[in-house]
Amino acid sequence: MFLTFLGLFQLFMMSSATNGPSSEADSEQTQQSGEAEPGTSRGPDDEEGENLEDVAADIYDLIKDIRDPEKPNTLEELEVVFEEGVKVHPVKGQSDRYIIRVEFKPTVPHCSLATLIGLCIRVKLDRSLPQKQKVDIFITKGTHATENEINKQINDKERIAAAMENPNLKELVEKCVAEDDT
Amino acid sequence: MASNFSGALRLTDLDDFITPSQECIKPVQVERLPGRSGPIKVQSDGSYVQIGIDGEATQLKKAQITLNDCLACSGCITSAESVLITQQSQEELLRVLEANNKLPEGHEEKKLVVVSVSPQSRASLAARYHLSIQETARRLTGFLKELGVHHVFDETFARDFSLLQSQKEFVDRFRRREEKGTVPMLASACPGWVCYAEKTHGSYILPYISTTKSPQQVMGSLIKDYYSKQSGIRPHHVYHATIMPCFDKKLEASREDFYNDVYSTRDVDCVITSGEVEVMLDKEGLSLADMQPQDLDPMFPVSRDGQLVNHIGGGSGGYLEHIFRYAAQELYGVSVEHIEYKTLKNKDFREATLEVDGEIKLKFALAYGFRNIQNLVQKVKRGRSPYHFVEVMACPSGCVNGGGQIRPQDGEQPKELLPRVEALYNSLNTRRPEDNPLLDQLVSDWLGGADTEKAHAMLETAYHAVEKMNNALTIKW
Amino acid sequence: MRGNLENVASLTGHLDRVWHVSWNPDGKLLTSCGGDKTIRVWGTHSKSNEGQGSDWTCKAVLQDGHSRTVRRISWSPCGSLLASASFDGTTCIWSQKNAEFECITTLEGHENEVKSVCWSPSGSLLATCSRDKSVWIWEVDHEDDDYQCVGVLSVHTQDVKNVCWHPHKEVLASCSYDNTIKIFQEEDDDWCCVCTLTGHEATVWGISFDKTGTRLASCSDDNTVKIWQDCNPDGQDGGSSRKTSWKCICTLSGYHTRTIYDIDWCKHSGLLATCSGDDTIHVFQENSVGSSYKPGFSLMACVTNAHSEDINSIRWNPNGDGFLASCGDDGFVKVWKYSQC
Repeated sequence: MFLTFLGLFQLFMMSSATNGPSSEADSEQTQQSGEAEPGTSRGPDDEEGENLEDVAADIYDLIKDIRDPEKPNTLEELEVVFEEGVKVHPVKGQSDRYIIRVEFKPTVPHCSLATLIGLCIRVKLDRSLPQKQKVDIFITKGTHATENEINKQINDKERIAAAMENPNLKELVEKCVAEDDT
Repeated sequence: MASNFSGALRLTDLDDFITPSQECIKPVQVERLPGRSGPIKVQSDGSYVQIGIDGEATQLKKAQITLNDCLACSGCITSAESVLITQQSQEELLRVLEANNKLPEGHEEKKLVVVSVSPQSRASLAARYHLSIQETARRLTGFLKELGVHHVFDETFARDFSLLQSQKEFVDRFRRREEKGTVPMLASACPGWVCYAEKTHGSYILPYISTTKSPQQVMGSLIKDYYSKQSGIRPHHVYHATIMPCFDKKLEASREDFYNDVYSTRDVDCVITSGEVEVMLDKEGLSLADMQPQDLDPMFPVSRDGQLVNHIGGGSGGYLEHIFRYAAQELYGVSVEHIEYKTLKNKDFREATLEVDGEIKLKFALAYGFRNIQNLVQKVKRGRSPYHFVEVMACPSGCVNGGGQIRPQDGEQPKELLPRVEALYNSLNTRRPEDNPLLDQLVSDWLGGADTEKAHAMLETAYHAVEKMNNALTIKW
Repeated sequence: MRGNLENVASLTGHLDRVWHVSWNPDGKLLTSCGGDKTIRVWGTHSKSNEGQGSDWTCKAVLQDGHSRTVRRISWSPCGSLLASASFDGTTCIWSQKNAEFECITTLEGHENEVKSVCWSPSGSLLATCSRDKSVWIWEVDHEDDDYQCVGVLSVHTQDVKNVCWHPHKEVLASCSYDNTIKIFQEEDDDWCCVCTLTGHEATVWGISFDKTGTRLASCSDDNTVKIWQDCNPDGQDGGSSRKTSWKCICTLSGYHTRTIYDIDWCKHSGLLATCSGDDTIHVFQENSVGSSYKPGFSLMACVTNAHSEDINSIRWNPNGDGFLASCGDDGFVKVWKYSQC
């Protein structure tokens, strides 16, 4: 388990070394535009792009083994999460910081556990990343009847924080995100 | 729909945005049949099928949610129209009537349809159609009978029973007031309040709630037990609908406590609100004022001359008023002429005290609306309530202002309509329940006496704390 | 940018994210609360120039009041009481005697997390709000520490995030996960919603009145700040106070890139401070040109990476001396000094 962390951490350090100084100058500037469109943002050079893809792959490794709250399977086995669903965007002026976007597909459009799955993904990432990152989690468009409501809830950090103080919810989430000892 | 329920119910997580099929937790608890597993696929028509190991698709049953499920669950109380419409609505009543009208006389499925009308609903309809109470009652009877209803009764009769029973219960509790959980006795006629207490305050509050059935449910017992026997019809062959000022009454009628297992029937089959009666009339393009008046049914007459009478003590049934007078007489030998109410924080929180020889003997209060309920509950929980009895109602201004009453018309402000409804409600002569000449006879004929097992079964009920949900899969966060 | 924010103190002590900061009425004490279920009271040693020195210390830690996150705190106008709202569903009232704090009352009634608490300007009313979608108004009897619920307002359709009183009238504003802001007033003896402000496209996290109370600033998950104007502040139009009408007169967008969690309108300088999930603090000033109904605002100062994680709360010192407090997910409470260049 620690090896994964270490690997990811090194990766962060690496990317920090490659594009660190170049974007320093931007830091004073006000950002006038909204958030970059997912998937369209690529670094100024291919190297950064590749690094981001590696980071995305590592992040995917962190969430793929989260267990479904009801079934014995992992989210990867149920195709709830998938590699292309993780996108990483750089943060201007901060080489070691990313905006991570995770997409997932509930098994059925009325899945009542979609919010719980979102909760698990968020908790897992908050705990496992070597440094706090901005994480946005969304349901793949068109895969849930109430996707807007669910997206809103699983991206509200106050709701997340309160949920994790509910002992019953916390216990369930802990079970889902626990690392396999085997 | 959500706004139709009382404020107390809305706070118990009544969620307008869910439908049972989506976020309701009940489907999770649907039993899984053995041997079935595999992916669930959604068909184009929205139904679900499960693909078995052999590749065969099995149609999955739709989960059915009843209002009783909602009551037994500490999740939301769904206001989903689909649930209300299938079980408790004017559509349902009309559907039943239509089906029933088509059956020939003597058909074994043919039901006797009975409607009980609450005095608050009558006042609301009278205000809407600018009629007197008596005229409203007669024309409403005409309208309902035209639709195929066989009998229309006045619920005031059942309230006589409720009031008498409450009086007795209070004096009994007061005499045992050193015991825990006796006083303050809290009124039980408001189902919104009862449901709120069951869901959120459980064992702290429930012992204090009067075990006397509400008038609606006493009426249910009268119809399904006494009346059906008198008429030689089995209970499930009587269809009993009530007209009520309040949506929460639909939930009350759906309680398991009022379900007869032997005959698989409810004491009250369907509750429609005053507002829904208006909708029924509107649908036919009718005004109540145009209906042919008919005489009231003589089965449960409140007076011999067919004139309606009412109870003293305001639009929520007069519980405080009756219990106060009875208790003063019974416990202290004081005959109370007039009860002086002292308004406390607001007009919906008033108290009345009985002083004997300069000493306060009885301290009663009216607490209407959620804010006043809240302060009361906190005081009772901490053992700091100064009261012996509290008439608790979930709606501000009480039942005449219930959520099911007809909304103001033609720019009339709610502030202007309410006093009109109240004035109409109070326009009848009042009479003590003890003075109902028929009551004594019914107590012996029907109940076999005042303190029999039958009397307890017919006039009392029980409350059940709803366990907080601990299943993480179903917790709403 | 013509202003500058200088970090004068970074206070550590909280063991988890810090949700909220609040100055006491005389601006000498700073309080913070958060995920570690505690409230911390901070002060400086120097008697004269409070807030200016870097010798900030933690003077008290209030614990054992709440069993879950303490989400928000509010000082009574007299400065002797502190109210705290918690995810445990309760609101605690703490009494300050000398340097000691004691929990004297616990207000129960909300069904779940209490998200915010705020004292009215007179100190006789207290407002709370919760995920249970309701806003409650409590009347305070200071003599026997009695708190009576005088209003339960269930008009929001979702989680109510924050409540804020008008600076000198008994008018309350609330903002919600349902994207709206609502204004409440007492009519006859009942509290009711007199106006709903729609325009934000996502959760409204924070609201703050200006010093006159005729304007309200709001910040949202849609990354914008909106300025709302009370077009009928005296309720003269038609005589009914229900005629209250608030209009959005300005939207500040393109500044923050993530959720704006809090906003505070300085009652002295008129400066607007905002803080966000993009880790930055912004300070805005209204342009001197432009009509009062079409105001423009300029960014005066911007600190990127003011905290290393989301910034949850920002508050001007009520003294008007330009000190600003902030706190964030990084567990820090920071004090800043604003100066005009």
